[in-house]
Amino acid sequence: LYVNENDAGANEELMTRALAGEAAAFGSLVRAHQGSVYSLALRMLSDRYEAEDLAQEVFLGLHHNLSSVESAAHLGFWLRKVTLNRAIDRLRRRRPDRPLEEASSVPCDPTDSDPLLQRRLRALLAQLAPAPRAVVLLRYQEDLNPNEIARTLNMSINTVKSHLKRSLATLRERIGSTVHGERRRTVLGSFSDDTGSLI
Amino acid sequence: MSNELNDRLRAALRPIDPGEDFTRKVLAQIASQARSPALAAPFARPTRAPDFRWLSAAALLMLVAIGMVVMHGWQARRAQEGMEARRQVMEALQVTSEKLDVAYRVVKEKEHSGA
Repeated sequence: LYVNENDAGANEELMTRALAGEAAAFGSLVRAHQGSVYSLALRMLSDRYEAEDLAQEVFLGLHHNLSSVESAAHLGFWLRKVTLNRAIDRLRRRRPDRPLEEASSVPCDPTDSDPLLQRRLRALLAQLAPAPRAVVLLRYQEDLNPNEIARTLNMSINTVKSHLKRSLATLRERIGSTVHGERRRTVLGSFSDDTGSLI
Repeated sequence: MSNELNDRLRAALRPIDPGEDFTRKVLAQIASQARSPALAAPFARPTRAPDFRWLSAAALLMLVAIGMVVMHGWQARRAQEGMEARRQVMEALQVTSEKLDVAYRVVKEKEHSGA
């Protein structure tokens, strides 16, 4: 059974069936949320194998704690929170001299309109500190508003807004300095200072 | 104002599905944990381990009860032995008293006949 992660009714039915011990229902829950969990892990850790390991760990944790998850909305919140907290813990434990996986080796969406620019954006995102990176991911990958991000990361809303503003300024500056020629003029022109509208 | 960075970021950060194989791996790990008694599945209610606190409390109560019964029996036997000893003493005193009575009478009779 394939369900969308945002289909609250279907997710709640799957949760009830999974709690009753139906493995297939839990499998459907995993399938519905694995894209979000794996992508958060991948973009936080910049390592496909470690991201897969972390995502599996998160779903095993969900399996053990499913009875404490109250609703489909809470399920999404729980998965994001646990994934990001564990990713940040792993980053803290990681040796500082460990090389990151090249952005080019991270799989690319075949529907990308501009794969090079998008790869570059992902590589620049990987250079941000873990907390602002998590904020940007929740805003642009998960489409959460600053209130929801603050709740997920246990931060004040002002901290979230400040991380967003500074991260976007950093990304704009760095992407501008790496794009050349005609492309650079186009990109710089379109990435004018619109931080306020993003937040 | 154009919000192209916003759109570019959304496009660059579209979720990537790790594939059906990922789901299978998660379910296989859960199944292998369910087979291991130490990591039992959380869904099925775990079989309740016997509550040893109640067992030990019951055993202690039983020991106290047995102790009280034994103690009571021992006290009853002691009391019975005491009564028996008392009875024997009383009987001995009575016999002695009777003997003394006989001796007294004999002595008195001899005194009267002598006089």
